[in-house]
Amino acid sequence: MIGGQGGDGTLTVSDLLGRYFRKSGLYVYTSRNVLSRIRGGHADASVRASRDPISAVKPEVDVLVAFDNEAVEMGRAELAAHGYVIYDSTGFHVDLPNSAGFPFATLVGGPLGQPIFKNTAAYGALSVLLGFDPVKTRAVIEERFQRRGGEALEKNLKALEIGRKAALEASGLAGRFSVVEGDAHDQILTTGNQAVALGFVVGGGRFFAGYPITPATEVMEYLQRYLPAFGGVVRQAEDELAAINMIIGAAYAGARVMTSTSGPGLSLMTEGIGQAGTAEVPVVIADCQRVGPSTGQPTRHEQSDLSHLVNLGHGEYPRFVIAPSNPEDCFGMTIDALNLAEKWRLPVILLLDQALCQNTTTSARFDLRAARVDRGQRLTAADVAQLTEYKAYRFTDTGASPYAPPGTPGLWAEITGNEHDEWGHVSVNAANRVRMMKKRMGKMAQARDELPATRFFGEASAKIGLIGYGSTSGPILETQAILAARGIPTRYLQARTIFPVPVHEIDPFLQSVDVAYVVEHNYTGQFARLLREFLPWHHAKLRSILKYDGYSFRTPQILGEIPEAR
Amino acid sequence: MVQSAKPVAPIWCPGCGDFSLLAAVKKAAANLKIPAHDLVLVGGIGCSGSIHNFLEVNGIHALHGRLLAQAIGVKLANPHLTVVAAGGDGDGYAIGMGHFMHAFKKNTSILYIVMNNETYGLTKGQPSPTSQIGFEGNVEAPFDAILSALSIPAPNFIARTFSGDPKTMTAVLEEAVRFNHEHRGFAFVEDLSPCVTYNDTYKLWREKVVDVSKLPGYDPTDRKTMFRLYLETSEAGKIPIGIMHRPAEVVRAGLETKLLGEAVGPARSDISLAANLGAYQKLLAGVA
Repeated sequence: MIGGQGGDGTLTVSDLLGRYFRKSGLYVYTSRNVLSRIRGGHADASVRASRDPISAVKPEVDVLVAFDNEAVEMGRAELAAHGYVIYDSTGFHVDLPNSAGFPFATLVGGPLGQPIFKNTAAYGALSVLLGFDPVKTRAVIEERFQRRGGEALEKNLKALEIGRKAALEASGLAGRFSVVEGDAHDQILTTGNQAVALGFVVGGGRFFAGYPITPATEVMEYLQRYLPAFGGVVRQAEDELAAINMIIGAAYAGARVMTSTSGPGLSLMTEGIGQAGTAEVPVVIADCQRVGPSTGQPTRHEQSDLSHLVNLGHGEYPRFVIAPSNPEDCFGMTIDALNLAEKWRLPVILLLDQALCQNTTTSARFDLRAARVDRGQRLTAADVAQLTEYKAYRFTDTGASPYAPPGTPGLWAEITGNEHDEWGHVSVNAANRVRMMKKRMGKMAQARDELPATRFFGEASAKIGLIGYGSTSGPILETQAILAARGIPTRYLQARTIFPVPVHEIDPFLQSVDVAYVVEHNYTGQFARLLREFLPWHHAKLRSILKYDGYSFRTPQILGEIPEAR
Repeated sequence: MVQSAKPVAPIWCPGCGDFSLLAAVKKAAANLKIPAHDLVLVGGIGCSGSIHNFLEVNGIHALHGRLLAQAIGVKLANPHLTVVAAGGDGDGYAIGMGHFMHAFKKNTSILYIVMNNETYGLTKGQPSPTSQIGFEGNVEAPFDAILSALSIPAPNFIARTFSGDPKTMTAVLEEAVRFNHEHRGFAFVEDLSPCVTYNDTYKLWREKVVDVSKLPGYDPTDRKTMFRLYLETSEAGKIPIGIMHRPAEVVRAGLETKLLGEAVGPARSDISLAANLGAYQKLLAGVA
């Protein structure tokens, strides 16, 4: 863990460490803890590396790098018994046995003219403590600062040597820890937000409108980089109302579209999503959940939008809510979302969370071979030639109607959020209303077998069940491994389709276990409540393990709530 | 010939100013030879916003106040389409005000028509953003869309018409759509369209309207002049109508052109994997 004031360069140290570990063939998981301000305030980052795949923050801190006393106060509670603290003694002193202070700011300030290189000096000292290979350590700096050019690179290399020298001269520091080599060399380092953006491009997404909001903004920023080369359009709208309505317009015109947002933006988009549901316009909304309601805690983690999304909006309309759990899933399921939206002509919501969106993790390369583009019943010019009439809301067996976007020669249509007949004409006819409701709502059952499949981990015969979704899968899987090592078998149900609730997949699972712990980040147990609503006969088996302090689960926090684990 | 949705009968009261506008839109589309399948009419909420139901056209009925965002989305997705957004003063200047001002900034080549009757007709005569002080107890200053439009330093087409003068209206609409077709940017036309039931202003407006093009020094390419002429006319108790702003240079300044150049646009791009495989491989290889 690396902590200090915002602007101290803690994230840079985290980045340098991550690069070193990746060069060593290790799996990496980093998380950041920053405030919603540009500079200042406490900020920390944690870096974890392993020979085995990891997808959670480690519960204990092995090494803490502190640029101020607050970082020590924040970090010492999580410090392992063998943990060690390296701190910048320019401004404060740490009274812990396993600690070493170096005046990094002063050491670099003289020769380099500016104290800002203290973070690179700290990386240098760390490299000694962790027994890094000096050549690789230096290569990381070169890689990181090469693009900034001569002087920045030169000064950082000097700062590195200053830090290394100081640490080598201190007694008992060198080689206190060691780093093993791994074989995870073919991994990429990415975030859920980047994976969603890449999935959008590959899934044929060509129009994106959004409004800046933490922790969803990076999806828009990545797409501003990626999409123009594909003839796509990215717009930063004047507000979320404009964003959702711009994508509705673009989807109506025949483009594959998406917006990304978080709680407050989602609230503003709700009316538009309802229109997409009833006017049958295919839109994808990525919701990067954060602490709510209202402004809440913009930079902190929570999973408290689930109930809102399942019941989103006034009136009733079909929607799919799907939840990826890691970047690879984010990539694939964004493609799924685009296909499902266009095929079934309804809104699809990608349910994400802050940790999934912003924490960086090693991941297998995204696989193009698994990608596909299914445009559903989109009418081509050849199809149109066979038609005698074109009704945009034609009643069909599945509920999805063939669609020809405006500009298709020889026909036109009315699209509306008013209740309408097959032609799109406004209708208050009672029988038509009932039939149209059944047409739209029936899509959810019709699409059942096309929705992302629930995944199961662990032993099928286990009597203890675990249930979760999104980034919570990481700590749950690690909890499962710890329990397995203690001889306690469990089975984990990783939900990927949240709504419509896949009762056909969840029911046999709940039949097979005596108890199921639903692990989620909110106060009221939103996912457990949803399961109780749709599988009421399993009511008594469901227990909630909840966390709503803005931080993601650490394994001991889950273990502590499972009586069978004690 | 494929049978598509047939127009339905207008829901408007006999004598409503919107009938003139509907006729002018039909005439302009015919004169410009825009095929029905290439014309998109985005309607707002309110009496006027139902206009797309009364024409052979691709119609999309937007949410209240959001027609501009939807219309801009349509145009940016397929710049080949002729896109017209049409709604009322409540829709555009109250609930939709944010999008209204930003539309001038964005300068997308669409036409936005506001049928201004200075009241909420469909909900039975409440004051609207443009209502005069005293109308149905209104104590708030009336909003002036033309002055606001002129205040944004963008190369927009800005005009006002009067439903009592349908001939001029057709000519202005045609010019506005040609402006769009040349990808020059956003065209805004406010039509003074009396509500014969709740705010019958035909007689009053007929007496007050002044054709700005007849005023000495009229130059729609000069913003300063137009501000002055507009203010002088309004302050004299008259209502200026006509073309209020139009850039001199013929420049493809439309947002769709700035973003897409000659590309076909998101809606018509080939998004098949086969067509993009090489580019996708390169994109993914760039993630380290």
